[in-house]
Amino acid sequence: MQRVDNLDDDRGIHTTPAVIEPGHDFGTVTDKISSIVLRKRTPLGWFVGFLISFMLTGMMMGTILYLVMTGIGIWGNNQPVGWAFDIINFVWWIGIGHAGTLISAILLLLRQEWRTSINRFAEAMTLFAVASAGLFPLLHTGRPWLAYWLFPYPNTMGMWPQFRSPLMWDVFAVSTYATVSALFWYTGLIPDLATLRDRARSKFGRVVYGMMALGWRGSARHWHRYEITYLLLAGISTPLVLSVHTIVSFDFAVGIIPGWHATIFPPYFVAGAIYAGFAMVLTLVIPLRKFYGLEDFITERHLRNAAKVMLATGLIVAYGYMMETFTAWYSANTYEEFMIRNRFFGPYAFYYWSLLVCNVVVPQLLWIRFVRHSTVALFVIAMFVNVGMWLERFVIIPISLHRDFLPSSWGMYSPTIFDFTMFFGTIGFFFFLMFLFLRFLPVISIFEMRTMVPEAQLPEEKLP
Amino acid sequence: MDAKTYTAPPSIGRYGSRALVFGVAALALAAAVSFLFPQEHIPGPVQFFRAYLVAYIFCTGLGVGSLAWLMLQHMTGGGWGLVIRRPLEAATRTIPLLALLFIPLAVSLFVHPGGESLYEWSDAAKVAGDEALRHKSAYLNPVFFIVRAVIYFAVWGVMMYFMNKWSAEQDKTGDPRIRRLMQDASAPGLLLFGLTVTFAAMDWGMSLEPHWFSTIYGLIIMVGWGLSALALMIIVLTVLGAEEPMEGVYAPLYFHDLGKLLLAMVMLFAYFSFSQFLIIWSGNLPEEIPYYLRRLRGWWQYVGLSLILFHFALPFAMLLSRGVKRHARALRNIAILMLLMRVVDLIFIIAPAAYQDTAEPTGIHWQDLLTMSAAAAGLFGIWLWYFFGQLTKRPLMPLGAPELEKTMEAAAASAHH
Repeated sequence: MQRVDNLDDDRGIHTTPAVIEPGHDFGTVTDKISSIVLRKRTPLGWFVGFLISFMLTGMMMGTILYLVMTGIGIWGNNQPVGWAFDIINFVWWIGIGHAGTLISAILLLLRQEWRTSINRFAEAMTLFAVASAGLFPLLHTGRPWLAYWLFPYPNTMGMWPQFRSPLMWDVFAVSTYATVSALFWYTGLIPDLATLRDRARSKFGRVVYGMMALGWRGSARHWHRYEITYLLLAGISTPLVLSVHTIVSFDFAVGIIPGWHATIFPPYFVAGAIYAGFAMVLTLVIPLRKFYGLEDFITERHLRNAAKVMLATGLIVAYGYMMETFTAWYSANTYEEFMIRNRFFGPYAFYYWSLLVCNVVVPQLLWIRFVRHSTVALFVIAMFVNVGMWLERFVIIPISLHRDFLPSSWGMYSPTIFDFTMFFGTIGFFFFLMFLFLRFLPVISIFEMRTMVPEAQLPEEKLP
Repeated sequence: MDAKTYTAPPSIGRYGSRALVFGVAALALAAAVSFLFPQEHIPGPVQFFRAYLVAYIFCTGLGVGSLAWLMLQHMTGGGWGLVIRRPLEAATRTIPLLALLFIPLAVSLFVHPGGESLYEWSDAAKVAGDEALRHKSAYLNPVFFIVRAVIYFAVWGVMMYFMNKWSAEQDKTGDPRIRRLMQDASAPGLLLFGLTVTFAAMDWGMSLEPHWFSTIYGLIIMVGWGLSALALMIIVLTVLGAEEPMEGVYAPLYFHDLGKLLLAMVMLFAYFSFSQFLIIWSGNLPEEIPYYLRRLRGWWQYVGLSLILFHFALPFAMLLSRGVKRHARALRNIAILMLLMRVVDLIFIIAPAAYQDTAEPTGIHWQDLLTMSAAAAGLFGIWLWYFFGQLTKRPLMPLGAPELEKTMEAAAASAHH
C-alpha cells in the first residue's frame, strides 16, 4: 500500500522529495542562506553551544600543555599496549573527514546534484576533523616541536625516515589530504565570500569578506577559471579518499600482529571511514537544519540518501568482521584463532559485543522505509554508528596489542583521565570550529543552490 | 511502441552455432593435451580438471557477474543500465547451464590418480597426515563442498528466476509497480550475491592452496567477475549495434558511461590485488608468503608483470580518455583485452598452485598454458552459444520499462551535440 502511495501514477517513477523545496528563486536562496551570517540576530543557542565547545577546547589546551611539559606518560598507553587512545582517535577523526570529501568531490564527479546543499558543510567537517586528527600523532611523538623530522629532508645527521614504514606514508597522505581539502573548500567559498562582501552592512564585514573573496567580480572569465579549478581539485581529492584511509589501514595491516595483519583491511577501512563520516554528517545536519530553518535546502532526500550510504557501507564493514572471524578459524593458526576468541570472550569482550550491536545490529533498521524517513530515528542510529566506529578502532588497536604471541608479555590497558580530556577536548575543538564556521561563513553554497532553482534549469540539461 | 520490436537479428543464431563448434573443438584439444602429454607429477585427469577450473571460474563470472550488474542497474537506474539490461538478463539465464557444468568439479573430488588430486584436501590420505588440513576438514570436505555449491546455485538461480520473470511481466503489462519491486529486491539480492561469491571464491580458488588464506580473496574474485561481465556486455553491444534493429540505438553516451564503469572496475581490481600483495609481502609470514614466492619466481614473474601492464596500466591509461570511452570500437577492443587478461589472471592464480611441494623456482609448463587457455576458450564458446540462444528469446530492449522512451530521446538528443 505504501508502495502505491509513493508512485507517480502515470509514469511509474516513484516520487523522491526534491533537493530543494518549491517556491524558491535566486533571491530567496541568497537571502535565506546569507542572512544566517549577516542579518539574523545570533541565536542564544549558538552562544550556549559556542561557550561549551570553547570550554572543552580550553580543556584540550590544558591537557596539551601538561603533556608537553611532562611527556606522554600521562596517557595510559605503555607496553604492551603502545598505541591506544591517540591512534584510535586519530583514525576515528580521519574517518569522519572522509564523508566530506566523498560528498564534495566524488558526488560532484558523478553528477549527483543532491550533494549541492550539504557539500560546503561536509567539507568544513572534513577540515575540522582532519585538524583534530592531526593533533594525536603529532602529540604522540612526545616532542611535537621536532615533528618536522618526519619529513625527508637533507640534514647534517644524514638521517632519513624509513620509507618502507606506513607511518611515513601516513605523514604524506594526511598532510596532502589536509592541504587539498583546505584548498577545495576555500575555492568553493570564493564566489559566496563575494556575495557576503556585497551584502554586508558593516564596513568591517565588507573589508574582511572582500579580502577573502580575492577580488572576485563574477565575470565570465572568473567563472570559467573557477569551474576548471574546482573540477581539477575534485579530481585530485577523489583518489585521496581511498588512499588516505588505505594507508591508515596499512599502519596496522603491514605489521604482523594478529588482528592487524589482514588483507581485507584497505577496503574495510575505507568503507568504515565513509560509514562513520555519513553518521557524523547526519549527527550534525539534523539539528542544524532544524535550528536554522534550512529544511527547504537540506531536505528529506538528503537524509534518506545519507541513510542508504550508511546502510551500504555498514554492510561492507560487517563483511569485514565476518571475514576476519571466519578466516581466523580457517587459517588454522593458533594466534589468529586466539585473537578472535579474545575479542569475543576476553577481558574486553564487552566492547566487542557493543561494537557488533552499534555497527552491525542497530543499523539494519535502515532497511525499513519508515525508519529511513524518520529524522529522529536517523539521528539515533547515527549516534550508535559514531560510538560503534570508535569502538571498532578500540577493538583493533589495544585489544590486539594487549595479548599477542607471548603470554609472558601480556598486559591490560586502561586509559587515564588525560586520555579522556584529550579526546573530549578534540570533540569540543571540532565543534568550536564548527560554530565559528556557522556564524561567519555561508553554511550552504549560495551560488550552487541558485543553479538548483527552477529558473536556472535549461531544457538541454535535463539528460538522465 | 511504433514499429520497433527490437527482436534479435538472425545473425546472432549463426554466431552461436559457430561458437559451439569452436568451443567443443577447443575443449577437446584441452582434454587431448592433458591426457596425451601429461606433466611428470600431474596425471592427465588432474591436468584436465585444473584447466577446466580456470575455464569454469571464468565463465561462471560472466553469468553470475551479470546478475550483480542487473541488480545494480535496477537500484541506480540510468540509461546505461537500460540498454544492457536484456543482454544481462540473457547472461543470467545461463546460470542453470553453469550449475550443470559444475559436475566435473564435483567428480574431481573423488578422483585421485597416483595420489594426486585437484584439491589436496579432497584426498583423505593427505588430510590424515596434515594437522592444518585436519582442522579445516570441517569446512573443506567433499560433501560440504558440493552442498555449498548447491546452495550458491540455488541462491543465484532464485534471484535469476525472479529478475527475469518480473522483467518479462513488465514487458507485457507495463505495470509501474514492477520497477519498484525489482529495485527493492535488488538490495538484499546484492547482499546475498556478495556472501555467496565470497565463499564460492574461497571454495573453488583459494582452497587450491589449502594452507594459504587471505581475507580479501573473495572481493578480488568478485570484482574480477564484475569486470569480465561488464567487458562482455560492452562487446555484445558493439556486435548488436552493428545491424538492424539496434543500429544507432546505442548512443555514445552509453558507451561513455559503460567505459567509466569499466575504468572503475579496472582500478578497483588493481587496488584489491595490490593491497593483498603489499600486505602479504610486508608481513612475510611463513604461511602466507609462499603464495607469492610461487608466483614471483622463474617465468611466472613475467606473467605477473603482464598483469600489471595489461590488466591495469594500459587499460587505465586508455580509459582516461573521453574520446576512447565514447568510441564504440575502441572501447570494444579494450573490453576484449580485459576478457583475455581475466583468463591470464585466473591462470596466474590457479596454475602455480599445483607446484606447492616443489622447492625449485616454478617454471611455466607449456601444458598448463595450452590446456588452460584452450579450456577457457572452449567453455567460453559453449557458454556463448547458450547465451546467444537466450539473447534471441526476448526483445533486446525492455519494452515495458517506464523510462525507456525518455532514455531513447535523451540519447538521440545527445548524439547531435
